[in-house]
Amino acid sequence: MLNLLRWLVFVVAVLAMNFPVIVTVITSFKSARELSFNPGFWIGEPTLENYTRVLGETDRFNIYGYLFNSTIASLIGTGLAIALAFPAAYAIARSEAGRRTLLPLIINLRAVPLIIFAIPLYMMYQWLGLLDTQLGLGLILTIVNTPLALVILVNAISDVPSELDEAAKMDGASSWQVMLMIIRPVVRPAVVTTFIFGFITAWNEFLFGLMLTTSRAVPMTVGASFFFAASGGGVQWGTASAVMVLGALPPALLGLLMYRQISASLTAGAVKG
Amino acid sequence: MAIVNRAEGRAYLTPLVGFLLFFLGFPAAVNLVYSISTVSFETLRSPSLSGFGNYAAVLADREFWGAVSFSMRFGVLTALAECLIGLFLAVFLTPLLAKRSYLMAPLMLPLMVAPAMIGLMYRLVLHEFAGPVPYYLFEWFGDSPAFLGVDNAFRTLLVVEILQWTPFAFLLFYMAYAAIPLEVREAASLDGASALKALWWVELPLMLPTLVIAFFIRFIDGFRVFDNVYALTGSGAGGSTTSLSIYIYQAFFKGGAIGKAVAASVVLFLASLAVLYGLNWITGRGRR
Repeated sequence: MLNLLRWLVFVVAVLAMNFPVIVTVITSFKSARELSFNPGFWIGEPTLENYTRVLGETDRFNIYGYLFNSTIASLIGTGLAIALAFPAAYAIARSEAGRRTLLPLIINLRAVPLIIFAIPLYMMYQWLGLLDTQLGLGLILTIVNTPLALVILVNAISDVPSELDEAAKMDGASSWQVMLMIIRPVVRPAVVTTFIFGFITAWNEFLFGLMLTTSRAVPMTVGASFFFAASGGGVQWGTASAVMVLGALPPALLGLLMYRQISASLTAGAVKG
Repeated sequence: MAIVNRAEGRAYLTPLVGFLLFFLGFPAAVNLVYSISTVSFETLRSPSLSGFGNYAAVLADREFWGAVSFSMRFGVLTALAECLIGLFLAVFLTPLLAKRSYLMAPLMLPLMVAPAMIGLMYRLVLHEFAGPVPYYLFEWFGDSPAFLGVDNAFRTLLVVEILQWTPFAFLLFYMAYAAIPLEVREAASLDGASALKALWWVELPLMLPTLVIAFFIRFIDGFRVFDNVYALTGSGAGGSTTSLSIYIYQAFFKGGAIGKAVAASVVLFLASLAVLYGLNWITGRGRR
């Protein structure tokens, strides 16, 4: 009996928390004609016409461009964050350097609202010619991803017994070689986790995409909101839903495939933060 | 023998530190200078120092305090609700989830969707003609409130935020709950504690640090909310849903009041430092 109640609570929670996603997916399979009289939860005549329109008609709303921009900027923002955080994490885990002040400082960065840096960054970007570029957006996403990348990597490297490093050093390896050839393969799972989590975070970022891009480098989250703004009062809801589903799909798929790793990294960031 | 000596350690830290100094340290300095300058889009490169006028203007601005109040109420209420619902779900669903970890996936899905995207989706969900919620409310009750009108927008946004981020609190509590050693539970039940008593006197105190941290994380995220509010209502009718982040954004991009926007940023920065200091103080005390 109690078990039945648990199932009931579970189902209600899942439906409520995923409600906007469910409604959007349903709507994306309805024709414009059907939508005009049936906004409900059932689909009378399922159709793919919204998807074919979004994917086929690229002159007014080029979804490929937005998806491409998001992919490139997210890859930069994740790859660079790992490249910068990895050596730093190694130094922090294996020496006293940076443990006392730098690590807590960077972890606390997660809690600082980044919008406070947005205005000077905008001016700086204007000056450096980074406005409306995928690189410029990627660099900001690097900052967004750095705190959690550092925490996860420091934890992972600290868990590797330092006898491993010492043995390699005895054999004459430099600490650089130890880091790249001994530590890196051992902590690969943590690097993969960092990458997935960082990619999802970067893909879903909105504020800096909105402020720092205007046309050429607009990411998917901002592009989707353009779609609404451009169509004014008469939003075509079927097409709009298809846009939202396609834009939310990459991080959602990644997340659903790797939910175990992600829950681990979420908790890592919270416990240390 | 240290594996990484001092000089090497510095060298490994340098790229990261340099990057952050360039992208955050420099903007922070610009913030400080501009916040005490007269500056407009035409005189960006040559701000002239003018004292604390910008701060005075911000602190005298009723819209600023409206935004502070919005962010504060939004942060506290969403964090409270998310933690309470998340805690309930974690404790109540653990017997179900412990054996079937795949059930976690649908519970975590909201965390994978961009908050801005969720905001856009609710435009559809709540739309008076195309949205299912007003449709069914009309069907069943003959009436549907204006969810995004002045009176209801705040409550609607609360629900939107809570539904998306409760999974985060739930996840932290689920992990903390699972981490309580079996012996502790057995000892409690041997001493004759009922499940409810064990929860209240034994398990919850053990989870307290996680509860505090989750509340603070959710409070900070709620306080600085931008994406979903901007996508769903913008600043809302009559500025009724202007969060502090939206206030800064609009002062800069729409109003061109750079000095004011920057001064508000510095105020927000100081406030977040204070919160962080408080958090570190509380968790530091808990550890001792």
